[in-house]
Amino acid sequence: MYDEMYGKPGEIRGHYAALERWLSTMPPDVVEEKRREADLLFHRVGITFAVYGDEAGSERLIPFDAIPRIIPVDEWDVLERGVKQRVTALNRFLHDIYHGQDILRAGVIPAEHVLTHEAYQVAMVGVNVPNDVYCHIAGIDIVRNDDGEYYVLEDNLRTPSGVSYMLENRRMMMRLFPELFEQYNVRPVEHYPQLLLEALRNNAPQGVREPTVVVLTPGQYNSAYFEHAFLAQQMGVELVEAADLFVRDAQIYMHTTSGHQRVDVIYRRLDDPFLDPLAFRPDSVLGVPGLLAAYRAGNVGIANAIGTGVADDKSTYPYVPEMIRFYLGEEPILRNVPTWQLRKPEDLAYALERLPELVVKEVQGSGGYGMLIGPTASREQIEEFRQRIQSHPANYIAQPTLSLSTCPTFVQNGVAPRHVDLRPFVLCGRECKLVPGGLTRVALNEGSLVVNSSQGGGTKDTWVTA
Amino acid sequence: MRISIDHTTHYTYEHPVRYSTQYLRLVPRTSHRQRVLEWRLDTPARPLELSDGYGNILHVLTIDKPVEEIVIRSSGVVETSSAVDEQYDDEPRLSPLLFLRPTALTYADAALVEFAEQFRRRAGTLTGLRDIAGAILGRLPFQPGVTEVHSTAGEAFAAGNGVCQDHAHVFIACCRYLGIPARYVSGYIYSAGHVESAVASHAWAEAWVVDRWRSFDITNGRPAGAHHIRLAIGADYLEASPVRGVRTGGGMESLSAHAVVTPQ
Repeated sequence: MYDEMYGKPGEIRGHYAALERWLSTMPPDVVEEKRREADLLFHRVGITFAVYGDEAGSERLIPFDAIPRIIPVDEWDVLERGVKQRVTALNRFLHDIYHGQDILRAGVIPAEHVLTHEAYQVAMVGVNVPNDVYCHIAGIDIVRNDDGEYYVLEDNLRTPSGVSYMLENRRMMMRLFPELFEQYNVRPVEHYPQLLLEALRNNAPQGVREPTVVVLTPGQYNSAYFEHAFLAQQMGVELVEAADLFVRDAQIYMHTTSGHQRVDVIYRRLDDPFLDPLAFRPDSVLGVPGLLAAYRAGNVGIANAIGTGVADDKSTYPYVPEMIRFYLGEEPILRNVPTWQLRKPEDLAYALERLPELVVKEVQGSGGYGMLIGPTASREQIEEFRQRIQSHPANYIAQPTLSLSTCPTFVQNGVAPRHVDLRPFVLCGRECKLVPGGLTRVALNEGSLVVNSSQGGGTKDTWVTA
Repeated sequence: MRISIDHTTHYTYEHPVRYSTQYLRLVPRTSHRQRVLEWRLDTPARPLELSDGYGNILHVLTIDKPVEEIVIRSSGVVETSSAVDEQYDDEPRLSPLLFLRPTALTYADAALVEFAEQFRRRAGTLTGLRDIAGAILGRLPFQPGVTEVHSTAGEAFAAGNGVCQDHAHVFIACCRYLGIPARYVSGYIYSAGHVESAVASHAWAEAWVVDRWRSFDITNGRPAGAHHIRLAIGADYLEASPVRGVRTGGGMESLSAHAVVTPQ
């Protein structure tokens, strides 16, 4: 087991020494008091997250943990170069599959895998997007294994969420524990909304100098509605729903109190099939009729572009290292987790034999839904999954159970190690940028490896220290 | 053969419609099989001309002042060739693999899977596909009014009869299930004897056989030929439909569509 704070038993890693000293001087009742204060503050700013299927209520606080996860700057530099390299290659891949399809003709990825993928959008064939960028906002999930190495677990290129927690967690820490920031040189993340706005503005149609940017939300029943509202407010742009927008002459307009205003860039937090009922699902009431035509005509920028899903699918993930070599001529800086693609008969046979040791995921799944964690699953759960896999093998991938690193976390009985992962957010406009840090998610139950907020995980502030 | 087409779509509303957007695929393209000699599209407001991902000509019509009716008239003259199954000069960059993906309207449910399975052995051949087309017409005799525009292949198959759109969807669902790329074609057909006919709007299918697209007019039990005029292709009706729109206001809507196809 790799612990972020402790090396050998009792040995503290250098970058955690000051934090450990601070922790040891904190009386438990002060910690408890701070925790209540944090809860109150989060309630007041309205940070909530809807948990689907949770009967206790559709909204709740994501538990916030006051012990930060600290990443030394030399490790961060590698992570930063690694995720930028990855997102650059993924953007090249997206451009390629909607244009020349070099990678398919070279046989690096089977053409059938890409072209029969349900997220591949024929509507995007031949469409040119500003700066050839398809994925303006990427959330790359990274874990540290017990060998101490970082691995990329997943690329999220559709509508990755969680960045609002990264920002709010930092605010909370500065408010509750200002003394800690005197002991560390924590690199700032507060400028994320400015970087996001810059990336979005760079996605404006040609010739638009002062683009109007909006955030398009499916509405308040979406689990990430808080984040949509938060980001719009932080960037100083309008938060809109489909009914606020309309199309005239293949231009997008927004109803405002002072008439109609042209919209140049849409940061959509709505999945492709719902975007335009005239082009995709006719029953969608969340989309804007005519949006696709406006997009194809080059009159509006959409972030992320339509059709990015084909690149972030879990069955495309195994090919990302090859994409990096193919497009960039470089070796991948960050490793992939070994992945068995169950559509391949030999991989399927291997996985079915070792289900109790493996993690099995649906290729289209997200949010921790539809997965099997072999080592903690019951015999019944494993058998049920075996049947699901056998009836649709191509729907699944399998990976070894990683031993995610742990980080000390406040729990009921004091401080104890809990598993964590990390989601840095990469922003691409004319170039790729990211703020030093990301969202650290923590599995609050002892031994649990599931960190997803939708599965009841918590979050921590993430510090990159110089 | 020279064929003239006059196609009118007429919507009337109970109350004024406040806003309406339509995607129109009402203008044929010239290809090896057909030459568009003249064509005009009359709409209540000036539409914007684009193309869609399949290379179809797409007009986007927006009406944002109150109207009680919308009339769209599309007319012209097309010269067709009697050569059948000639490879069309459609978007050359579109791989046939794109037409292996099932859509909501062309999903093969259990009954369709069972039906398609009996053709598996010769499914990759022209005669095998003709067998499928023939069997579909046998199972679903032509009868208007049973299915509606949003009926799926499975629903049409269960209903036991259908129209050209249903025949095409069922055929496409079977092909894709059997691993053969297949796509939907919307267009017109000239039927001798019908001076004026509401069924002149037509739909058929194409399947990828060895190295080219072959056409299957399932409803008429033959390939598309000199009597067929092709408007648009797509994965299913929704992607190739001549008129697809949404509106705000208007109350009850009544639609009359009328296509007159005559030889010159």
